Amino acid sequence: MQQRRTIDQIHTNRVLLNGQLDTPKWWAPTVIGLGFIVIIGFLVIGIMVNKGLGVTGLSRPVFWGLFITTFVFWVGISHAGIMISAILRLSQAEWRRPVTRAAELLTVFSLLTALLFPLMHAGRPWRIVYYILPYDFARGIYPNIRSPLIWDPVAISTYLTGSTLFLYIALLPDLGNLRDRTSGWQNALYTVLALGWRGNPRQWKLQTVGGILLSALMLPIFVSVHSIVSWDFAVTPAVEGWHSTIFAPYFVIGAVHSGVSAVVTMMALMRWLWKWEDFIRPEHFDALARLLIVVATGWLAFTFLELIFAVYGLDAPELALREMQIFQWPWWLLFVTFVLTGYVIPVGMWLQKRVRNNIALMFWSSIFVNIGMWLERFLIIVPGLARKTPFVYTWESYRPSGLEWFILFWSLTWVTFLMLLFARFFPLVPLFEQKESQTFGDSIKIGRARVPAILREAD
Amino acid sequence: MTLQREKRQFSWGMAVDVDKCTGCQACVLACQAENNIPLNTPERFERARVMSWIRVERYWEGEFPDIKARFIPIMCQHCENAPCEPVCPVFATYHNQEGMNVQVYNRCVGTRYCANGCPYMVRFFNYWEPVWPEALRNHLNPDVTVRSRGIMEKCSFCIQRIRRGVRKAERENRELLDGEIQTACSQACPTDALNFGNLADPESKVSKMKNDDRQYTLLPHLATDPNVVYLAKIDPEKAVKGGSSHG
Amino acid sequence: MASEAIPAKRIHSAAHDEEHHELPARVEPQVITAELIATTEAGRTRFRTLGWTLGILFLVGTIALAVKLVVDGGDQTQWGYTAATVAFIFSAFGGAPMVAIAPVLAKANWAKPLSRIAAIFSFASVITTLLMIPLILHLPPLVTEGARRRSIWFEGPDISPHFWSMVAMLTLIIAGLALFYSAALPDFAAMRDHSSGWKQRFGRIMARGWVGTTVQWRTMRMRIGMAGTFYFFTFVFVHFIISTDFGMSLVPGWRDAIFPMYHAISSIQAGLAVSVLAIWFARRYLKLEKYLHLDQFWSLSRLMFAFTLLWGYFFISAFIVFWYGRSSSDQMWIELLIRGPYIWAFLAGAFFIWFSPWWWLIWNRVRRSANGPAIGSALILIGLLLDRIRLYVAAWSVPPERIHERFLTEIPKTIWPDITDVLIFIGALAGCLLIVLMITRIIPMLSVWDVQNFNLLYRPINYMKTRAYLIAKPD
Repeated sequence: MQQRRTIDQIHTNRVLLNGQLDTPKWWAPTVIGLGFIVIIGFLVIGIMVNKGLGVTGLSRPVFWGLFITTFVFWVGISHAGIMISAILRLSQAEWRRPVTRAAELLTVFSLLTALLFPLMHAGRPWRIVYYILPYDFARGIYPNIRSPLIWDPVAISTYLTGSTLFLYIALLPDLGNLRDRTSGWQNALYTVLALGWRGNPRQWKLQTVGGILLSALMLPIFVSVHSIVSWDFAVTPAVEGWHSTIFAPYFVIGAVHSGVSAVVTMMALMRWLWKWEDFIRPEHFDALARLLIVVATGWLAFTFLELIFAVYGLDAPELALREMQIFQWPWWLLFVTFVLTGYVIPVGMWLQKRVRNNIALMFWSSIFVNIGMWLERFLIIVPGLARKTPFVYTWESYRPSGLEWFILFWSLTWVTFLMLLFARFFPLVPLFEQKESQTFGDSIKIGRARVPAILREAD
Repeated sequence: MTLQREKRQFSWGMAVDVDKCTGCQACVLACQAENNIPLNTPERFERARVMSWIRVERYWEGEFPDIKARFIPIMCQHCENAPCEPVCPVFATYHNQEGMNVQVYNRCVGTRYCANGCPYMVRFFNYWEPVWPEALRNHLNPDVTVRSRGIMEKCSFCIQRIRRGVRKAERENRELLDGEIQTACSQACPTDALNFGNLADPESKVSKMKNDDRQYTLLPHLATDPNVVYLAKIDPEKAVKGGSSHG
Repeated sequence: MASEAIPAKRIHSAAHDEEHHELPARVEPQVITAELIATTEAGRTRFRTLGWTLGILFLVGTIALAVKLVVDGGDQTQWGYTAATVAFIFSAFGGAPMVAIAPVLAKANWAKPLSRIAAIFSFASVITTLLMIPLILHLPPLVTEGARRRSIWFEGPDISPHFWSMVAMLTLIIAGLALFYSAALPDFAAMRDHSSGWKQRFGRIMARGWVGTTVQWRTMRMRIGMAGTFYFFTFVFVHFIISTDFGMSLVPGWRDAIFPMYHAISSIQAGLAVSVLAIWFARRYLKLEKYLHLDQFWSLSRLMFAFTLLWGYFFISAFIVFWYGRSSSDQMWIELLIRGPYIWAFLAGAFFIWFSPWWWLIWNRVRRSANGPAIGSALILIGLLLDRIRLYVAAWSVPPERIHERFLTEIPKTIWPDITDVLIFIGALAGCLLIVLMITRIIPMLSVWDVQNFNLLYRPINYMKTRAYLIAKPD
């Protein structure tokens, strides 16, 4: 399906830099509007910190609710970046090229957002500094490294640092490009950021080696981040439904599922907003959808194992939990929605080539996936707490308060806001990757047929 | 961190004779008064944010009219292998050298992870700043910290009473007597269902109760090794022996 | 992997001391056909000796099995090593055909020359199935004295595990046959056209009128895709069944959701190792260097490395949950399967299947050779055997009367293999190899049409000042 298209470099420069050099008219009003919501959101969080967590719907058995769900959700989304730019880079999938930067950017911003949630979710956020920084040297009391809640910030901040570096290294050639096309304060900004990029062979070599090295180093971190997030839950035998050995890979593959879907959402938006039809093409959606079918099916297998081995023990409390999760109102509705939107509807759509090449349908299917994946986390975290242990005396339910819902939707706004702000100053589609793919693409004549081919260095 | 029970001077524990419990809730009230626990208003019940360091769970057994009410008082089990301890990121809860699981209010940042880890559901979170009616302000126990919002709290085995009792014995230069230190709940219990004492002393009442045939612990399959032991209900009709957490 | 970015100069200097690192000159299509078909005749005497040896070993193994049935029949705890043998053979040889599926499912060109030899290993399922019969005889019933033990057959009939495991294995054989045969048609046609005697006649029957029309090619590709997908799903399902029915459900309190996946992952890892060893032997004794390039070793060992790391990840995922959870059943799991009676198998197994291949295959120089990956493969296979012993011998050693406990309260003692166990293992292994060997006599072990295809799609060119490949990726 990969027909080769020749796009000359001048056209590439002009179109892909339109966000910076020729900012579209919708940009300023949209960003101001979103900024307004973002400010309101921070005010609401401030009110919550000021009044206490009583303003949420949390209760005694359900100590963790929508905020932790959303935290896991955003950490999941952050797995898009490395999946696309490292794994696909190492496996030399050509179609990754226009998507890499957007995916990495999504990683960075969703991690920043994810970090906010455990912070605001703590009872005394202002004391959280105890939690991450070793303190109290006099008495030698350090944070408890046995706690998964210490592993979390370590893994996430490593991932964030790595992703930021990765993003920056991939930005260098484009920063040099922008520096040469701007004047005034912008020129000064890009000059500083481009670190003297001139595009000589040595710089290119370092830039690629840096990218490859970071990809390889980031892979274990990529896996560890969501594994550790899953262990927040899995190490706790007290909560039914949490103490499962499958959680780490199950969470990771679920994260890839939701993250790559989020990339699809973003690609569709980018193509529509900045009119990049020449660069983000149906075949990219097609390739992503094929990847997603495999990922989603693998994820379904893990879901199946998780459920079957939950029931396997035939322990009464576990059965009570599953009974509630799958059959009781309103949980069954959430469960059915989760199965439909997480797998059945989107994969059913992607199996058809017509859908894979239709950007609007791809956009909606990816939205479905993320609704489903959010529900998945919710259905893992909350029912287990609500039906905790055999002490039926303490069973409860949970209804998130309006404030919690607002902060969930605010976080979406916040990530979009950061994205748009970034897009004003930096190109979202890497220009050099685009040009490289033009150089590497070729074709071979076999018999009478011309077959698309890819150039690889002899090694 | 955990010392062997035998090597400790004190290893505080409790023995609950379920057979004697009438479900009168005197322990709950005594605990509430002793430990400055905020009032449980109807609103708190509705939001399921009740705080009660000791609770009396009531279960119905059988079908009406042949129905029985079963009671079981549950407080922090002060597990030797407490699941709440390793998960706390800031060491706000840890095991002290007297076998107790203690909560350091100052350190707590309120992640509520310990509460998720606790299978007995005996940890409580301060969702709001606690308030008392004007009339009750002067009734607060000066020996017990008033917890602010955003932190966890739980049964402390009335540690203020333990400290006072031990100090008193030291001052008077004598051994601590068995039963000299009583927690608020055990003191208030009219039927002696709740017994508090030193498990490190083999002669103490709790140690003897611990070796009773009827002895069991809650959720033994989690291997938490609690310092609170239960003595099973004697049911003349069924003659059931221990092992179930549903009393 | 990193080829596109690592500067050519460095790679050249690093790789020059290795043998044949350049893609060999293109071989003419006629030569490919002739030479590959000739491999079915090559080394007659050596083949005969090897065949007889394997046959005798297989016979000895069969006798040992019969002896064991008489001596230890009825005592479940003594059959752990047979279970480990079944699990090992199924994991190693059942995993190999995954390599044959790779070019279909992931457009991996490099795997094309390997697809035949990888698919042949699916025939080893026959031995697995046969060896499973005594195990099924000794598998404790689902319901004893009215009490149902934990299993994946919640309310199913009493014979569920026994019945379905057999059905699953038979399905796997069928799937393997389908995978093998669907890709073999053009080669049978080549035998029909390019050989003589019974082979020609056999080829004519098996080729089913293959002449290579566009429609035939298209149908065949579709069939391979379907058979491959079918094999993959059956493979995963059989792992699920074997790991739970013959392992997990025999131990009270062992509840490990990741175990079937762990089982499948290590099986693919071992399947890759088996493929590497197979092409290593083919290169060494059948002189097929022209078709089995270092590129194949390199790609296979890269995957092997990835799966080695995945083994560690899946193991840690289970371990940390049990270790941290420390409930009674968690502690039992660690005691029984790790630090208790089988600590030797655990430590040695983890060393061979995970630690040593990790630090061996991590080097590009090792991966880019023929001997390096072969050594890594041998390590992995030894490790897999030890790992299966740890899991299955431990599971079978639990006395049947304890099977209803909520968790195991008393850890059984170590069970050491006796002579029949060793002979059964050797015999089963010999049986599998014998089958594979026989099949390479009737059909070329490298698929002729896949090798032709590979040669068409890979084209060395000169690009500016350096050498490069053009790799075609048809749809």
